[in-house]
Amino acid sequence: MPANKILIVDDEQVIVRLLSMSLKSDGYETFSAFSGEEALDVFKEHAPDIVVTDIKMPGMDGLELLKKIKELDPEKEVIIVTGHGDIDSTITALQFGASDFINKPVRDEALAIALDRAKTKISIREQLASYTHDLEEKVAEATREIRRKSNFQRLLIHSSHDAIVAFDQDWQIVVYNPEAAKIFEKKPGDVLGKMTIDELYTPELAQYFRKEAENKANDRDMPWQEMTLETRSKKKIPVRYATNVLHEKKEFMGIVNFFQDLTEIKRLEKELIQSERMAAVGQTVSGLAHYVKNILIGLKGGSYVVDVGLQNNNMEKLTTGWLTIKKNIKRVADLTQDMLTYSKERKPEAELCFPNEIVDEVVDLVTDFAASHNIHITKICDPELGEMVLDPRTIHRALLNLVNNAIEACLELEEENKKFVVEISTKKGDDGSAVFAVKDNGIGMDEETRTKLFTPMFSSKGGKGTGLGLLVTKKLVEEHGGTIDIDTSLGYGSVFTMRLPEQPGDSRNGNNKG
Amino acid sequence: MSKKVLVVDDDPDVRSFVVTVLEENRYTPLVACDGVEGLEMIQKEKPDLVILDVLMPRGSGIRLYRQLKTDDALKAVPVIMFTGIALRSFLKSQKALEEFKGEKVPEPDIYLEKPVEPQELVDAIKKKI
Repeated sequence: MPANKILIVDDEQVIVRLLSMSLKSDGYETFSAFSGEEALDVFKEHAPDIVVTDIKMPGMDGLELLKKIKELDPEKEVIIVTGHGDIDSTITALQFGASDFINKPVRDEALAIALDRAKTKISIREQLASYTHDLEEKVAEATREIRRKSNFQRLLIHSSHDAIVAFDQDWQIVVYNPEAAKIFEKKPGDVLGKMTIDELYTPELAQYFRKEAENKANDRDMPWQEMTLETRSKKKIPVRYATNVLHEKKEFMGIVNFFQDLTEIKRLEKELIQSERMAAVGQTVSGLAHYVKNILIGLKGGSYVVDVGLQNNNMEKLTTGWLTIKKNIKRVADLTQDMLTYSKERKPEAELCFPNEIVDEVVDLVTDFAASHNIHITKICDPELGEMVLDPRTIHRALLNLVNNAIEACLELEEENKKFVVEISTKKGDDGSAVFAVKDNGIGMDEETRTKLFTPMFSSKGGKGTGLGLLVTKKLVEEHGGTIDIDTSLGYGSVFTMRLPEQPGDSRNGNNKG
Repeated sequence: MSKKVLVVDDDPDVRSFVVTVLEENRYTPLVACDGVEGLEMIQKEKPDLVILDVLMPRGSGIRLYRQLKTDDALKAVPVIMFTGIALRSFLKSQKALEEFKGEKVPEPDIYLEKPVEPQELVDAIKKKI
């Protein structure tokens, strides 16, 4: 707002009126006073921006008025009107803070210049004040924003479900949130700014992240991975973790580690698998009843035939009946074994073994039976697949199950003159695992059968299968960390491929294993 | 001359049991291992009665049963269904087949669920021949 209000003070009323008229015509709003005392009252009432006052007045003179006004408001401009050559008063007035002075008689041009100067001073002061105020506002706003953001980040890190640990360029810990404290079991107060990576992590882990920092030029090229974290207090925790190596202008700034504690998830997963297995056993009951009934039919029939043989002293009947009974006893034994294997958790017992030799054993077991049904068994063993640390029992049972299924698949295909072949092959996988494939040209499966294949008590054998065979096979293979894949086509046959990775955790010395 | 009874079943244990029961009761046993063999045997040997399993490879007992009952020369041969499948399931499949094929066949003369005592089987046979 431009300075526009002027107070004119002189004990000579004519001068006041003349100046007043002249200034009004220039567009100012003017107030008049004829003494120092009156001027002070008008000043207090109207707060003019500029005061033009004669220095010599009866009563309160111009200097006194100047002092009073400056006391009231130092921002106001006061122009002193002096007599010609009154140098002393002029200097005193300037010392008291007068903004300017003009000589009597007051000429319009001189007054105009003095007023302009006063107005310029006021305007500069106002702008300065406004800038200063704005600047203060802006600094305050920026400070609030920074505080807000920093609080937000602090809360974010604090409340994160991930454990976050960050190190600066000297590997000092600068971020360490409550989740991190849960994992590493050290209070934030003892860690933040007090420990380095070597004091929080095990030497192996610290070394690992130092290497990562050296190797990684980019900030975000390390995806989430899983590992078992070992703390310095020897606690082992399964975690998912991710690492960001931080750079600023290509300078290493530090590194952030994120950890997710998987203990609970792993426990739940385990529980889930166990309960699914139990549910499967439950569903199994009706299917089992059917299978057990078939066994019972065999046993009852067999014992009747034996009775008849005993009564008639008929050796042939005795033999037939007794074979039936023995066969069905074996079915009960197999079923019991399948059920136990399926419902119990079992750790593979790995030892040094030759996978190809196990294939030989299995082939020996089934060749005669297969031949009696015109099914030819062949094997193609990869000589590269030498001695490996695997669980031979897993291989034996899984392979025998798959081969028996392959034979059944051939028996089911009702083609009189087809040359049925079950081919068992081995090879060394690209990842070093042992790969076994069982291929048949039997009946194969349609999509529906294939998808139901690993569901409990699904049997395509019409009550002649336990419905557990493939489930048991799959479970054995998975416990061994392996996989099982199926490629099948209805009417043309199936290929079951089983991959078993070598068991790294176990001793290579198989002698101490039962 | 003793009467001829054909047993059609893929399970050798069941066959040896039924054959023994038949011999002990002075019938002449005939055996077939599946539906196709069963039909050939019926046409060739003209048995007085057929004991028929339901679930078998190569032409199930269901198919053979329908073949017999829709063949004018053979429909008079009495059939005992002898199976592990519950009668309810069997009739349900029959009903579905009837709707599908648009032909109705009579229910089996006698339906026996395995396992049975030898005497039950004998009683069933005696009811028919």
